[in-house]
Amino acid sequence: MKNKKQCVAMLLAGGQGSRLGILTSDVAKPAIPYGGKYRIIDFPLSNCTNSGIDVVGVLTQYRPLLLNAYIGSGSPWDLDLAHGGVYVLPPYVTGKSGEWYSGTANAIYQNIQFIEQFNTDYVLILSGDHIYKMDYNKMLQFHIQNNADCTIAVREVPWEEASRFGIMNTNEDNSISEFEEKPAHPKSNKASMGVYIFTWEKLRQYLVEDAEDPNSANDFGKNIIPKMLGDEQRMFAYDFKGYWKDVGTIESLWEANMDLLTLPMPIDLYDTKWRIYGRNPGLAPHFIAEGASVRNSLITEGCEVFGNVDHSVIFSGVTIREGATVKDSVVMPGAVIERGAQVQRAIISEDAVIGAGATVGEATGNIAVVGTGVRLSAGGEVKAGEQYAGQ
Amino acid sequence: MKDVMGIIYTGEKDSFLRELTLQRAIAAVPVAGRYRVIDFFVSAMVNSGVRNVGVIMQKNYHSLMDHLGSGKEWDLHGKNDGLYILPPFLTRENVGVYNGSLDALHSNMNYLRRSRQDYVLFCNSLMVFNPNFNEMFHVLDDSCDAVLMYSKDPSLRRPEYGTYLDVDENGMVTDLEMDPTHPRYENTCMDTLFISKKLLIDLMDRAFAHGYHGLMRDVLQRMIRDAGLKVRGYEYHDLCYRMDSVQSYFQFNLDMLNTELRHNFFREDRPIYTKVRDQMPARYMDEASAINSMVADGCIINGRVEHSVIFRGVKIAKGATVKNCVIMQDARIDEGVYLENCILDKQAHIQKDGRLIGPKSYPIVISKNMVI
Repeated sequence: MKNKKQCVAMLLAGGQGSRLGILTSDVAKPAIPYGGKYRIIDFPLSNCTNSGIDVVGVLTQYRPLLLNAYIGSGSPWDLDLAHGGVYVLPPYVTGKSGEWYSGTANAIYQNIQFIEQFNTDYVLILSGDHIYKMDYNKMLQFHIQNNADCTIAVREVPWEEASRFGIMNTNEDNSISEFEEKPAHPKSNKASMGVYIFTWEKLRQYLVEDAEDPNSANDFGKNIIPKMLGDEQRMFAYDFKGYWKDVGTIESLWEANMDLLTLPMPIDLYDTKWRIYGRNPGLAPHFIAEGASVRNSLITEGCEVFGNVDHSVIFSGVTIREGATVKDSVVMPGAVIERGAQVQRAIISEDAVIGAGATVGEATGNIAVVGTGVRLSAGGEVKAGEQYAGQ
Repeated sequence: MKDVMGIIYTGEKDSFLRELTLQRAIAAVPVAGRYRVIDFFVSAMVNSGVRNVGVIMQKNYHSLMDHLGSGKEWDLHGKNDGLYILPPFLTRENVGVYNGSLDALHSNMNYLRRSRQDYVLFCNSLMVFNPNFNEMFHVLDDSCDAVLMYSKDPSLRRPEYGTYLDVDENGMVTDLEMDPTHPRYENTCMDTLFISKKLLIDLMDRAFAHGYHGLMRDVLQRMIRDAGLKVRGYEYHDLCYRMDSVQSYFQFNLDMLNTELRHNFFREDRPIYTKVRDQMPARYMDEASAINSMVADGCIINGRVEHSVIFRGVKIAKGATVKNCVIMQDARIDEGVYLENCILDKQAHIQKDGRLIGPKSYPIVISKNMVI
């Protein structure tokens, strides 16, 4: 008998996140920086380790380089284990043919062997593009108590927004009666969070069937879940209360960062019992110079502030020089804001340089973006809603 | 490249730092917002290619062990080599307390012998600096038996304390004087010795047979003068601090607020590693005003901070002022408090409207967990 793991997590991290525009032109969405010192993937990985789930397969496909390096051995999340830990699982070649992951379900299907080596009873499916703190173990206990085949985490969304989500219609015992993808007239406001627990034996059977169906899109939401519902399997909705944010667009990524500046913070990142772990760049504490002013902001290690920062999130190793002003903005790791530059309602991506006297963003309108490693020349201008990817 | 092992002796007299070393070795004293004194030595060794580091502990070593852990943060947790914590132990010959660095080394002879490196970098844990030891490793060649690091920086000189070297025109050490009232030589020894393992073991054996205890006084001084041991001096030109008084501790921390000095210390090519706490970034609130200060992660700042070093997880309430201070991890400063020229140890708590003003030359030290 193989050494047993009760639950194996599979984290879908292959999405491109094309709605994030130039921010994901070089990196996969889960590797996008968030909250001053994290990357999005830190949240599901930390949730796993805090929930006692210590096998995590990370399915990568799109631009995996940074993600691979970031995950490394998994030690920042205590996932560098002899039996278990974090595994990066890219698509691979079998015999003469190789295949990309054609859909979320297909990605799991192609890794059946990986899952089976842990002799597991349950599989937790996660996605790498949401900001939330969740105890997956509680959800697992719920799944076991209900003797369920599939449990889907749901959260209540405002009724007027319900038609933008995958909605679960449930019975009194929280069993799912119907699943509607983006319904025009929603009957419920319980939206799927993209967090599923399956009883492995059952899921395996459906994955194999699905793979044999040439008409299937090999997707959990489109194929596996509706099929299981149609077959009247035991499916339950697990109510999650708490902060959950999809950071799929420029605006929502900016908003999610700004959320950390409101009081009380909607997601408590000071919580020492549920820490969010991340890879630490090992820099000195940040420095605020004479003549600088910092208010209502988050600032982290390695930053040097000589200018003005107001209502912004400043990531590690950022330099803001004399006379520069950063307001209502997100400045990602290693970026430099030169003297006198004005940055407002903007996202400045990693290692970008905003030249002296340049202007990025405006007081109103959409969020302006300057891409990774891009240099905006002195006096340059990026208007509200523009994405500047260099010349 | 020479294959080098590092040994750090952390058994220095710890009365120098008053309250700061009541419960910890000097090596474990928190500095510069997120580090401990020993981080600088261990990081410099690792950055210079040293992959085997032994840390000799003497007493009060609980917090040091807790900090170093498995050595993971310094990439010293490999299968071969890595970090070795060497606390005192009782044997028939060894009563459990080291009578000096030589005694400590001798007790750990087995570790020395079984390590596969041919060279040893031996140092104490008082220095805070960021050297590239490779330059020093190159200096050891056929012309000498060992290399000793020194500095001409006058700020390292102390009356009645320290080792001072006389170096001739060829760079060879001709004499050492220990703890003189008025040091005659301008070169302050940095207690950092580079030597071949074979010779070190041989010297130790001979010294031990004569009942000697100290490496500097009993071995180097005697051997240079009486037995023709050839020790070359290696001058260190960069910034260096010695944590042997509250004043020098205070000075180092506040000097890091000088951008030029800070950049000299914290460099991209020689990062300083430390135990990571995974706290969220520092948060500045509506009423915050901070200038000329270093602030670590996990802080919540709503008061005024001026020319100070603020460690991780410190809370400074609205209307409080912190000026010219070093505030360690998780300290709390309530509304209306005024602090000037103070050092607050970990978890100290200054309650509402408290006022503490120390003289600049002799900062007030508030011990760990104190509530005032």
